[in-house]
Amino acid sequence: MTHLFHPQNMDLTPFLFFTGKGGVGKTSIACATATALADKGEKVLLISTDPASNLQDVFGIHLTMAYKEIAEVPNLFVSNLDPEAAAADYREKIVGPYRGKLPEVAVKQMEEQLSGSCTVEIAAFNTFSSMLTDQSITQTFDHVIFDTAPTGHTLRLLQLPTAWSGFFKTNTHGTSCLGPLAGLSDKKKQYEETVQALADRKRTTLMLVTRPDISALSEAARASKELRNIGIENQYLLVNGRMKEFSKADSLASAFIKREQQALAHLPIELKNIPAFDLFLAPFNMTGVMNIRRLFSTENSSEAVQTSHTDQNKIVQYPKLNVVIDQLLKQKQRVIFTMGKGGVGKTTIARRIAVGLAAHGNKVHVTTTDPAGHLDELISGENGNITVSQIDPKKEVERYRLEVINQSKDQLDSEGLAYLEEDLRSPCTEEIAVFRAFADVVERADDEIVVIDTAPSGHTLLLLDAAEAYHREIAHTAGEIPASVRNLLPRLRNSDQTAVIIVTLAETTPVFESERLATDLKRAGITPKWWVVNQSLAAAKTIHPVLQVRAANEHAWIERVAIDSEDHMAVVPWHE
Amino acid sequence: MKSIQIFEPAMCCATGVCGPGVNPELIRITGAVGNLQRQGYPINRYNLANDPAVFAETKTIHDLLESKGMEVLPATFVDGQLVKEGTYPTNQDLAKWTSVPLDELSKKPQFRITLNVNN
Repeated sequence: MTHLFHPQNMDLTPFLFFTGKGGVGKTSIACATATALADKGEKVLLISTDPASNLQDVFGIHLTMAYKEIAEVPNLFVSNLDPEAAAADYREKIVGPYRGKLPEVAVKQMEEQLSGSCTVEIAAFNTFSSMLTDQSITQTFDHVIFDTAPTGHTLRLLQLPTAWSGFFKTNTHGTSCLGPLAGLSDKKKQYEETVQALADRKRTTLMLVTRPDISALSEAARASKELRNIGIENQYLLVNGRMKEFSKADSLASAFIKREQQALAHLPIELKNIPAFDLFLAPFNMTGVMNIRRLFSTENSSEAVQTSHTDQNKIVQYPKLNVVIDQLLKQKQRVIFTMGKGGVGKTTIARRIAVGLAAHGNKVHVTTTDPAGHLDELISGENGNITVSQIDPKKEVERYRLEVINQSKDQLDSEGLAYLEEDLRSPCTEEIAVFRAFADVVERADDEIVVIDTAPSGHTLLLLDAAEAYHREIAHTAGEIPASVRNLLPRLRNSDQTAVIIVTLAETTPVFESERLATDLKRAGITPKWWVVNQSLAAAKTIHPVLQVRAANEHAWIERVAIDSEDHMAVVPWHE
Repeated sequence: MKSIQIFEPAMCCATGVCGPGVNPELIRITGAVGNLQRQGYPINRYNLANDPAVFAETKTIHDLLESKGMEVLPATFVDGQLVKEGTYPTNQDLAKWTSVPLDELSKKPQFRITLNVNN
């Protein structure tokens, strides 16, 4: 038996982390919790650590790394931890003192070296770590609430303090391969304190946000277990989007409820002993302070919704997914990406496209770059022409380490090898290993069609930034660059070879995030080819009041996507 | 003992393993310099990304970069004299400057048993 989640009545720790699969409602609940606590008179700092943050959409204001007080909610301060901005600050801190002291060309090379993905990650992580340890923050705010990126990215962020402190501890040759962290040699203590703060149940609570569905629950279970392993044991489970029973005659609503009951009946073992709370599906989008406040108010029930009456007869015919597949067959792009916000169904669309292409006799390889991806979801529907793989960071790092050691062992004696192995234990190695695996999988397009199901936007953008940074670095590297790495960026930018498909839902934040993603992609020289609106309720018939309202609200967003995509769009209905 | 300084371009780390490709030259020089340092030899590597202060304070390298640009890196100085630019010193170079036998700089030769099954 679970209870409703009412944070204002709970005795909560100073640090609260909201994590979970994409689309489960982390941002909504984090914002509602922050607002509820601030309304009680507590001083609250709300920070998004997602490189594709949605906080600005919720509050309707532009956000930066500097804390901004929300006008309608005194005591609530909000900021976005922007990894690129953090990296720029960090870079300037290191390079700045040498402007004028070193020749300009040298300063420029330092800047370039400090633009790689490892610097970006470290800078973001360093900013994050200072939030947990900086006394001016911990003394000013009663609560610091972290709205995190989807699981894969967040696990990495929370595991980094342990990884770096461990690396500092075992590193015997001093400054080597701290990489861009060398500018932070004084940070050792801060990272140790971060590890302690995260593991202290008086200070930190992990809020595992999930939906009552199997894949979200299994991702929560994984996060729970991995974070318990690094000492974050104080965990709550928040089951968001539960449905109230309405009418058995409504097949769509009944399907929702049936799915819920099945999922909750098979709760993963890791989640069984965690205090659990419920939140009901709200009939409104979580934007604006008014709606945020409604989430935990007692009048928020579906019955209270005066159905802003929807015209159920207005069923517009939108283009279907087979339009996209037919065009891909015709235009013969061999690298196909599905990208978008977490939880929009990128994997499902990737699989359906792969199956569609394979049905025409093509050899297709499907892969996911999402560290929290579910390979089993890709495999179902497999036929003889389809192969599947996953880029698992841990395995890629191992593979890369072995490869480098095998390449080098003829040149080094045992001490040299030990030194090399130590460099390879640097957490920075993960970046390059994952990146090379990504380049390798794209290279498979020489022989077959490659469908790449990506991690949620933030993570994917960082991967593409890495492609650009490494591409620049290649120019002045004497090392042996694999052809796959050399060819990567030119191939991604060639629209005859690569098709990016943006997957979204017909709702506020997924559309906003998709639009930002499209802009960022264009800046990197990659133009999205198709937009797919997934899990659309608009085409489904329902009399459930909550679902009706949500369905009616979709049309405006679908129209907007039609414009964004210049009518290169398909709509996939929600199905049971 | 002559002191040896090697000034290198901005890199993530001494072995270069976090760059886009692994450079066998970096692996070799890492091994050789490591062996010399373990014998107490005054040899140091300075990487622009990690040790910008040394570049700023050492007039010779500063002036060299100013006049010839970044292509001079890696640049090697023996007792303050520029002896090599644009490439790393070979193990033979290092053996000559330090009088340390060549086989102590790199991996000690190992016996290999080769089975030639084709003949």
